[in-house]
Amino acid sequence: MSSFGLRVLSSDRVFFEGRVNMLVLPAPDGEAGILAHHADMVIAVQNGEMRFQTEDGEWHYAVVGTGLAEVINNRALVLVDTAERPEEIDEKRAQEALERAQEELRQKQSIEEYYVTQATLARALSRLKEKNRHGNINN
Amino acid sequence: MANIREIQGRMKSIQDTMKITNAMYMISSSKMKRAKKVLSDTEPYFYGMQSAISRILRHVPDIEHPYFESEHPGPSHEKRIGTIVVTADKGLAGAYNHNILKLAEEQAKLPGSHTFYVLGELGRQNFRKKKPENVEVDLTFRYTVQRPTMHRARLISERLLHLFQEGNLDEVHIIYTVMVNAMTAEPQVLQLLPLKKASFGPAIAIPYGVHQEEIMLNPSADAVLSAIIPNYVTGVIYGCLVESYASEQNARMTAMESSTRSAKEMLRDLSVEFNRARQAAITQEITEVISGAKAQKSKS
Repeated sequence: MSSFGLRVLSSDRVFFEGRVNMLVLPAPDGEAGILAHHADMVIAVQNGEMRFQTEDGEWHYAVVGTGLAEVINNRALVLVDTAERPEEIDEKRAQEALERAQEELRQKQSIEEYYVTQATLARALSRLKEKNRHGNINN
Repeated sequence: MANIREIQGRMKSIQDTMKITNAMYMISSSKMKRAKKVLSDTEPYFYGMQSAISRILRHVPDIEHPYFESEHPGPSHEKRIGTIVVTADKGLAGAYNHNILKLAEEQAKLPGSHTFYVLGELGRQNFRKKKPENVEVDLTFRYTVQRPTMHRARLISERLLHLFQEGNLDEVHIIYTVMVNAMTAEPQVLQLLPLKKASFGPAIAIPYGVHQEEIMLNPSADAVLSAIIPNYVTGVIYGCLVESYASEQNARMTAMESSTRSAKEMLRDLSVEFNRARQAAITQEITEVISGAKAQKSKS
Protein backbone atom coordinates (compact mmCIF):
# COMPACT_ATOMS: atom_id res chain seq x y z
CA MET A 1 0.00 0.00 0.00
CA SER A 2 1.46 3.35 -0.92
CA SER A 3 1.76 5.91 1.80
CA PHE A 4 1.86 9.67 2.12
CA GLY A 5 3.36 12.20 4.49
CA LEU A 6 1.25 13.48 7.36
CA ARG A 7 1.88 16.31 9.76
CA VAL A 8 -0.58 17.01 12.54
CA LEU A 9 -0.05 20.34 14.28
CA SER A 10 -2.03 21.36 17.31
CA SER A 11 -1.74 24.75 18.96
CA ASP A 12 0.57 23.50 21.70
CA ARG A 13 2.77 20.96 19.94
CA VAL A 14 3.58 18.92 16.87
CA PHE A 15 1.22 16.02 17.45
CA PHE A 16 2.36 13.64 14.73
CA GLU A 17 4.85 13.63 11.90
CA GLY A 18 5.42 10.63 9.65
CA ARG A 19 4.15 8.50 6.82
CA VAL A 20 0.70 6.97 6.90
CA ASN A 21 -1.37 4.70 4.66
CA MET A 22 -4.72 6.22 5.40
CA LEU A 23 -6.18 9.15 7.25
CA VAL A 24 -9.77 9.65 8.34
CA LEU A 25 -10.91 13.09 9.48
CA PRO A 26 -14.14 14.38 11.01
CA ALA A 27 -15.59 16.93 8.56
CA PRO A 28 -18.78 19.00 8.85
CA ASP A 29 -20.56 16.74 6.34
CA GLY A 30 -19.34 13.41 7.70
CA GLU A 31 -16.02 11.64 7.81
CA ALA A 32 -13.46 12.28 5.11
CA GLY A 33 -11.00 9.51 4.28
CA ILE A 34 -7.73 10.29 2.55
CA LEU A 35 -5.47 7.81 0.78
CA ALA A 36 -2.19 8.38 -1.00
CA HIS A 37 -2.30 10.50 -4.18
CA HIS A 38 -5.46 12.23 -3.16
CA ALA A 39 -6.47 15.23 -5.24
CA ASP A 40 -5.29 18.57 -3.85
CA MET A 41 -7.85 19.69 -1.36
CA VAL A 42 -8.55 21.74 1.72
CA ILE A 43 -11.02 20.26 4.17
CA ALA A 44 -12.64 21.88 7.19
CA VAL A 45 -12.14 19.74 10.29
CA GLN A 46 -14.66 19.48 13.11
CA ASN A 47 -14.60 18.30 16.68
CA GLY A 48 -14.36 14.55 16.69
CA GLU A 49 -12.22 11.50 16.18
CA MET A 50 -9.32 11.47 13.77
CA ARG A 51 -7.63 8.18 12.92
CA PHE A 52 -4.72 7.19 10.76
CA GLN A 53 -2.92 3.99 9.86
CA THR A 54 0.84 4.13 9.98
CA GLU A 55 3.00 2.12 7.61
CA ASP A 56 3.29 -0.79 10.06
CA GLY A 57 -0.47 -1.26 9.71
CA GLU A 58 -1.33 0.00 13.16
CA TRP A 59 -4.25 2.37 13.65
CA HIS A 60 -3.79 5.46 15.79
CA TYR A 61 -6.66 7.42 17.23
CA ALA A 62 -6.91 11.01 18.39
CA VAL A 63 -9.53 13.50 19.44
CA VAL A 64 -9.19 16.76 17.54
CA GLY A 65 -10.75 20.18 17.84
CA THR A 66 -11.78 22.39 14.95
CA GLY A 67 -9.36 23.38 12.25
CA LEU A 68 -8.48 22.47 8.71
CA ALA A 69 -6.58 19.88 6.73
CA GLU A 70 -4.84 20.45 3.45
CA VAL A 71 -3.70 17.78 1.06
CA ILE A 72 -1.21 19.11 -1.44
CA ASN A 73 1.24 17.14 -3.58
CA ASN A 74 0.62 13.93 -1.66
CA ARG A 75 1.38 15.57 1.67
CA ALA A 76 -1.28 16.14 4.26
CA LEU A 77 -1.16 18.87 6.87
CA VAL A 78 -3.72 18.89 9.65
CA LEU A 79 -4.00 22.12 11.66
CA VAL A 80 -6.27 21.83 14.68
CA ASP A 81 -6.53 23.76 17.92
CA THR A 82 -6.28 20.64 20.07
CA ALA A 83 -5.23 17.03 19.47
CA GLU A 84 -5.09 14.36 22.15
CA ARG A 85 -4.40 10.65 22.26
CA PRO A 86 -7.09 8.65 24.05
CA GLU A 87 -4.74 7.80 26.92
CA GLU A 88 -4.04 11.51 27.47
CA ILE A 89 -7.66 12.43 27.99
CA ASP A 90 -8.59 13.26 31.54
CA GLU A 91 -11.89 11.45 31.87
CA LYS A 92 -12.89 13.19 35.07
CA ARG A 93 -12.29 16.61 33.63
CA ALA A 94 -14.20 15.81 30.45
CA GLN A 95 -17.07 14.44 32.52
CA GLU A 96 -17.16 17.59 34.61
CA ALA A 97 -17.08 19.78 31.51
CA LEU A 98 -19.93 17.76 30.05
CA GLU A 99 -22.04 18.14 33.16
CA ARG A 100 -21.31 21.83 33.38
CA ALA A 101 -22.28 22.34 29.75
CA GLN A 102 -25.49 20.37 30.19
CA GLU A 103 -26.32 22.40 33.26
CA GLU A 104 -25.71 25.63 31.37
CA LEU A 105 -27.83 24.53 28.45
CA ARG A 106 -30.79 24.15 30.79
CA GLN A 107 -30.58 27.79 31.75
CA LYS A 108 -31.59 30.77 29.68
CA GLN A 109 -28.67 31.98 27.65
CA SER A 110 -27.89 34.50 24.97
CA ILE A 111 -27.25 33.13 21.50
CA GLU A 112 -23.55 33.73 21.96
CA GLU A 113 -23.43 31.79 25.22
CA TYR A 114 -25.46 29.06 23.63
CA TYR A 115 -22.90 28.55 20.87
CA VAL A 116 -20.04 28.51 23.34
CA THR A 117 -21.79 25.93 25.49
CA GLN A 118 -22.63 23.83 22.46
CA ALA A 119 -18.99 23.79 21.42
CA THR A 120 -17.92 22.85 24.93
CA LEU A 121 -20.47 20.08 24.98
CA ALA A 122 -19.26 18.72 21.64
CA ARG A 123 -15.64 18.76 22.82
CA ALA A 124 -16.47 17.00 26.07
CA LEU A 125 -18.59 14.39 24.33
CA SER A 126 -15.99 13.53 21.72
CA ARG A 127 -13.32 13.23 24.42
CA LEU A 128 -15.45 10.91 26.53
CA LYS A 129 -16.45 8.79 23.58
CA GLU A 130 -12.86 8.36 22.54
CA LYS A 131 -11.74 7.56 26.05
CA ASN A 132 -14.36 4.87 26.44
CA ARG A 133 -13.53 3.27 23.13
CA HIS A 134 -9.74 3.22 23.17
CA GLY A 135 -8.31 4.78 26.27
CA ASN A 136 -9.25 2.13 28.81
CA ILE A 137 -7.05 -0.57 27.29
CA ASN A 138 -4.04 0.69 29.19
CA ASN A 139 -5.76 1.30 32.48
CA MET B 1 30.51 60.89 59.07
CA ALA B 2 27.35 58.93 59.65
CA ASN B 3 26.71 57.06 62.80
CA ILE B 4 27.81 53.40 62.82
CA ARG B 5 24.42 52.14 63.90
CA GLU B 6 22.69 54.18 61.21
CA ILE B 7 24.87 52.63 58.51
CA GLN B 8 24.22 49.19 59.89
CA GLY B 9 20.48 49.79 59.76
CA ARG B 10 20.65 50.89 56.16
CA MET B 11 22.75 47.90 55.19
CA LYS B 12 20.26 45.59 56.83
CA SER B 13 17.32 47.09 54.96
CA ILE B 14 19.17 46.96 51.65
CA GLN B 15 20.03 43.33 52.27
CA ASP B 16 16.38 42.54 52.89
CA THR B 17 15.28 44.30 49.72
CA MET B 18 17.98 42.50 47.79
CA LYS B 19 16.67 39.17 49.01
CA ILE B 20 13.26 40.06 47.59
CA THR B 21 14.53 41.33 44.25
CA ASN B 22 16.76 38.30 43.92
CA ALA B 23 13.85 35.96 44.63
CA MET B 24 11.70 37.80 42.09
CA TYR B 25 14.48 37.52 39.57
CA MET B 26 14.62 33.78 40.09
CA ILE B 27 10.84 33.38 39.88
CA SER B 28 10.53 35.34 36.67
CA SER B 29 13.46 33.56 35.10
CA SER B 30 11.83 30.18 35.69
CA LYS B 31 8.46 31.48 34.48
CA MET B 32 10.14 32.91 31.45
CA LYS B 33 11.81 29.59 30.62
CA ARG B 34 8.40 27.97 30.67
CA ALA B 35 6.84 30.75 28.60
CA LYS B 36 9.58 30.46 26.01
CA LYS B 37 8.98 26.74 25.70
CA VAL B 38 5.26 27.31 25.21
CA LEU B 39 6.09 29.95 22.62
CA SER B 40 8.32 27.61 20.63
CA ASP B 41 5.67 24.86 20.86
CA THR B 42 3.00 27.13 19.36
CA GLU B 43 5.10 28.43 16.51
CA PRO B 44 4.64 25.56 14.01
CA TYR B 45 0.86 25.75 14.32
CA PHE B 46 0.88 29.50 14.05
CA TYR B 47 2.99 29.63 10.92
CA GLY B 48 1.22 26.63 9.40
CA MET B 49 -2.09 28.40 9.82
CA GLN B 50 -0.79 31.57 8.25
CA SER B 51 0.59 29.78 5.21
CA ALA B 52 -2.60 27.72 4.86
CA ILE B 53 -4.77 30.83 4.72
CA SER B 54 -2.44 32.52 2.28
CA ARG B 55 -2.53 29.41 0.10
CA ILE B 56 -6.32 29.38 0.07
CA LEU B 57 -6.34 33.05 -0.82
CA ARG B 58 -3.84 32.51 -3.59
CA HIS B 59 -6.01 29.85 -5.19
CA VAL B 60 -9.31 31.55 -4.62
CA PRO B 61 -8.27 35.19 -4.89
CA ASP B 62 -11.64 36.84 -5.50
CA ILE B 63 -13.20 35.47 -2.37
CA GLU B 64 -15.89 37.50 -0.67
CA HIS B 65 -16.12 36.81 3.00
CA PRO B 66 -17.31 38.93 5.93
CA TYR B 67 -14.03 38.32 7.74
CA PHE B 68 -12.02 39.86 4.92
CA GLU B 69 -11.61 43.53 4.31
CA SER B 70 -14.15 44.76 1.82
CA GLU B 71 -13.03 46.62 -1.25
CA HIS B 72 -14.96 49.74 -0.32
CA PRO B 73 -14.42 50.59 3.32
CA GLY B 74 -16.56 53.30 4.87
CA PRO B 75 -15.23 56.69 5.99
CA SER B 76 -12.54 56.20 8.60
CA HIS B 77 -13.91 58.62 11.21
CA GLU B 78 -17.08 56.57 11.53
CA LYS B 79 -15.26 53.35 12.22
CA ARG B 80 -15.79 51.63 15.52
CA ILE B 81 -12.49 50.16 16.53
CA GLY B 82 -12.01 47.66 19.33
CA THR B 83 -8.54 47.23 20.71
CA ILE B 84 -7.27 44.50 23.00
CA VAL B 85 -4.51 45.90 25.20
CA VAL B 86 -2.27 43.31 26.79
CA THR B 87 -0.61 44.62 29.96
CA ALA B 88 0.79 42.86 33.03
CA ASP B 89 -1.04 42.10 36.25
CA LYS B 90 1.69 43.70 38.29
CA GLY B 91 4.29 46.41 37.94
CA LEU B 92 8.01 46.13 38.69
CA ALA B 93 8.72 45.12 35.14
CA GLY B 94 10.77 48.04 33.88
CA ALA B 95 9.25 49.90 30.96
CA TYR B 96 7.05 46.97 29.86
CA ASN B 97 3.69 48.40 30.96
CA HIS B 98 4.62 51.96 30.20
CA ASN B 99 5.46 51.17 26.57
CA ILE B 100 2.15 49.36 26.04
CA LEU B 101 0.10 52.14 27.60
CA LYS B 102 1.87 54.77 25.57
CA LEU B 103 1.13 52.91 22.37
CA ALA B 104 -2.50 52.47 23.43
CA GLU B 105 -2.83 56.21 23.95
CA GLU B 106 -1.41 56.83 20.50
CA GLN B 107 -3.90 54.35 19.07
CA ALA B 108 -6.73 56.25 20.74
CA LYS B 109 -5.81 59.35 18.75
CA LEU B 110 -6.50 57.67 15.40
CA PRO B 111 -9.79 58.62 13.72
CA GLY B 112 -12.84 56.61 14.70
CA SER B 113 -14.47 55.74 17.99
CA HIS B 114 -12.47 53.41 20.17
CA THR B 115 -13.26 50.75 22.71
CA PHE B 116 -10.46 49.26 24.76
CA TYR B 117 -10.54 45.70 26.01
CA VAL B 118 -7.81 45.66 28.59
CA LEU B 119 -6.09 42.51 29.76
CA GLY B 120 -4.05 42.63 32.94
CA GLU B 121 -4.86 44.29 36.22
CA LEU B 122 -2.33 47.10 35.87
CA GLY B 123 -3.67 48.37 32.57
CA ARG B 124 -7.23 48.13 33.83
CA GLN B 125 -6.44 50.26 36.88
CA ASN B 126 -4.62 52.75 34.71
CA PHE B 127 -7.49 53.21 32.28
CA ARG B 128 -10.04 53.42 35.04
CA LYS B 129 -8.18 56.31 36.61
CA LYS B 130 -7.39 58.32 33.50
CA LYS B 131 -9.40 57.45 30.49
CA PRO B 132 -8.17 58.96 27.22
CA GLU B 133 -10.68 61.08 25.35
CA ASN B 134 -13.27 59.42 23.09
CA VAL B 135 -12.32 55.98 24.37
CA GLU B 136 -14.69 53.54 25.99
CA VAL B 137 -13.10 51.02 28.29
CA ASP B 138 -14.97 47.76 28.71
CA LEU B 139 -14.50 47.01 32.38
CA THR B 140 -16.43 43.76 32.17
CA PHE B 141 -13.62 42.34 30.09
CA ARG B 142 -11.71 40.61 32.86
CA TYR B 143 -9.14 38.04 32.02
CA THR B 144 -5.78 37.47 33.61
CA VAL B 145 -2.58 37.35 31.62
CA GLN B 146 -0.83 34.84 33.86
CA ARG B 147 -0.08 31.50 32.24
CA PRO B 148 -1.93 32.00 28.98
CA THR B 149 -4.02 29.03 27.91
CA MET B 150 -5.77 28.12 24.69
CA HIS B 151 -9.03 28.09 26.59
CA ARG B 152 -8.71 31.72 27.65
CA ALA B 153 -7.67 32.75 24.15
CA ARG B 154 -10.76 31.01 22.83
CA LEU B 155 -13.03 32.86 25.25
CA ILE B 156 -11.50 36.19 24.27
CA SER B 157 -11.69 35.55 20.55
CA GLU B 158 -15.27 34.27 20.76
CA ARG B 159 -16.30 37.44 22.50
CA LEU B 160 -14.65 39.71 19.97
CA LEU B 161 -15.74 37.67 16.96
CA HIS B 162 -19.28 37.92 18.23
CA LEU B 163 -19.03 41.71 18.55
CA PHE B 164 -17.57 41.86 15.07
CA GLN B 165 -20.24 39.66 13.51
CA GLU B 166 -23.05 41.60 15.17
CA GLY B 167 -21.64 44.75 13.62
CA ASN B 168 -20.78 46.38 16.95
CA LEU B 169 -17.18 46.67 15.89
CA ASP B 170 -15.77 47.42 12.45
CA GLU B 171 -12.18 46.62 13.28
CA VAL B 172 -10.40 44.65 15.96
CA HIS B 173 -6.79 45.35 16.88
CA ILE B 174 -4.49 43.94 19.50
CA ILE B 175 -1.64 45.76 21.22
CA TYR B 176 0.96 43.38 22.58
CA THR B 177 4.68 43.08 23.10
CA VAL B 178 6.95 41.24 20.70
CA MET B 179 10.19 39.79 21.91
CA VAL B 180 12.72 40.84 19.32
CA ASN B 181 15.53 39.12 21.16
CA ALA B 182 16.50 38.41 24.75
CA MET B 183 17.36 42.06 25.37
CA THR B 184 14.75 44.04 23.48
CA ALA B 185 10.98 43.84 23.45
CA GLU B 186 8.79 46.08 21.33
CA PRO B 187 5.13 46.96 21.69
CA GLN B 188 3.16 46.40 18.51
CA VAL B 189 -0.29 46.92 17.05
CA LEU B 190 -1.76 44.13 14.98
CA GLN B 191 -5.04 44.15 13.09
CA LEU B 192 -7.00 40.99 13.86
CA LEU B 193 -10.22 41.68 12.00
CA PRO B 194 -11.12 42.13 9.26
CA LEU B 195 -8.23 40.21 7.79
CA LYS B 196 -6.20 42.08 5.26
CA LYS B 197 -5.58 40.03 2.18
CA ALA B 198 -2.34 41.86 1.59
CA SER B 199 -0.97 40.86 4.97
CA PHE B 200 -0.81 37.20 3.93
CA GLY B 201 2.21 37.73 1.79
CA PRO B 202 2.53 39.67 -1.46
CA ALA B 203 0.26 38.69 -4.30
CA ILE B 204 2.55 36.92 -6.71
CA ALA B 205 1.71 37.64 -10.30
CA ILE B 206 1.38 34.28 -12.00
CA PRO B 207 2.56 34.41 -15.59
CA TYR B 208 0.02 33.47 -18.20
CA GLY B 209 0.12 29.86 -19.36
CA VAL B 210 1.75 28.43 -16.26
CA HIS B 211 -0.19 25.52 -14.89
CA GLN B 212 -1.59 26.29 -11.50
CA GLU B 213 -2.59 23.36 -9.35
CA GLU B 214 -6.22 23.43 -8.48
CA ILE B 215 -7.33 22.95 -4.93
CA MET B 216 -10.78 21.83 -4.01
CA LEU B 217 -12.29 23.35 -0.93
CA ASN B 218 -14.51 20.88 0.86
CA PRO B 219 -17.45 21.33 1.45
CA SER B 220 -17.07 24.91 0.10
CA ALA B 221 -14.66 27.80 0.29
CA ASP B 222 -17.07 29.58 2.53
CA ALA B 223 -17.38 26.63 4.92
CA VAL B 224 -13.62 26.15 5.09
CA LEU B 225 -12.96 29.81 5.77
CA SER B 226 -15.74 30.01 8.34
CA ALA B 227 -14.24 27.00 10.10
CA ILE B 228 -10.67 28.19 10.14
CA ILE B 229 -10.80 31.95 10.53
CA PRO B 230 -12.19 31.95 14.09
CA ASN B 231 -9.51 29.38 14.82
CA TYR B 232 -6.90 31.52 13.22
CA VAL B 233 -7.96 34.52 15.29
CA THR B 234 -7.87 32.40 18.45
CA GLY B 235 -4.42 31.20 17.45
CA VAL B 236 -3.19 34.74 16.88
CA ILE B 237 -4.59 35.90 20.22
CA TYR B 238 -3.00 32.94 21.96
CA GLY B 239 0.31 33.65 20.25
CA CYS B 240 0.10 37.32 21.30
CA LEU B 241 -0.71 36.38 24.89
CA VAL B 242 2.18 33.95 25.09
CA GLU B 243 4.59 36.40 23.51
CA SER B 244 3.49 39.20 25.85
CA TYR B 245 3.79 36.92 28.85
CA ALA B 246 7.31 35.92 27.87
CA SER B 247 8.26 39.57 27.32
CA GLU B 248 6.74 40.54 30.65
CA GLN B 249 8.76 37.94 32.50
CA ASN B 250 11.81 38.97 30.57
CA ALA B 251 11.30 42.63 31.43
CA ARG B 252 10.78 41.79 35.09
CA MET B 253 13.82 39.58 35.08
CA THR B 254 16.03 42.34 33.69
CA ALA B 255 14.56 44.93 36.05
CA MET B 256 15.10 42.71 39.06
CA GLU B 257 18.57 41.77 37.95
CA SER B 258 19.61 45.39 37.66
CA SER B 259 18.07 46.29 41.02
CA THR B 260 19.89 43.36 42.65
CA ARG B 261 23.07 44.62 41.05
CA SER B 262 22.60 48.17 42.29
CA ALA B 263 21.74 46.84 45.76
CA LYS B 264 25.05 45.01 45.77
CA GLU B 265 26.82 48.18 44.72
CA MET B 266 25.18 50.17 47.49
CA LEU B 267 26.11 47.50 49.99
CA ARG B 268 29.72 47.66 48.91
CA ASP B 269 29.82 51.45 49.26
CA LEU B 270 28.08 51.28 52.61
CA SER B 271 30.43 48.64 53.94
CA VAL B 272 33.40 50.83 53.04
CA GLU B 273 31.75 53.71 54.83
CA PHE B 274 30.95 51.45 57.77
CA ASN B 275 34.56 50.31 58.05
CA ARG B 276 35.77 53.88 57.89
CA ALA B 277 33.34 54.96 60.58
CA ARG B 278 34.41 52.04 62.76
CA GLN B 279 38.06 52.83 62.22
CA ALA B 280 37.44 56.47 63.05
CA ALA B 281 35.71 55.47 66.26
CA ILE B 282 38.61 53.20 67.23
CA THR B 283 41.16 55.89 66.43
CA GLN B 284 39.24 58.37 68.47
CA GLU B 285 39.06 56.01 71.43
CA ILE B 286 42.77 55.30 71.27
CA THR B 287 43.50 58.99 71.08
CA GLU B 288 41.34 59.56 74.11
CA VAL B 289 43.03 56.76 76.08
CA ILE B 290 46.51 57.92 75.17
CA SER B 291 45.84 61.55 75.88
CA GLY B 292 44.27 60.55 79.17
CA ALA B 293 47.32 58.47 80.07
CA LYS B 294 49.63 61.32 79.08
CA ALA B 295 47.73 63.71 81.25
CA GLN B 296 48.09 61.32 84.20
CA LYS B 297 51.82 60.94 83.53
CA SER B 298 52.51 64.64 83.43
CA LYS B 299 50.62 65.05 86.70
CA SER B 300 52.75 62.58 88.59
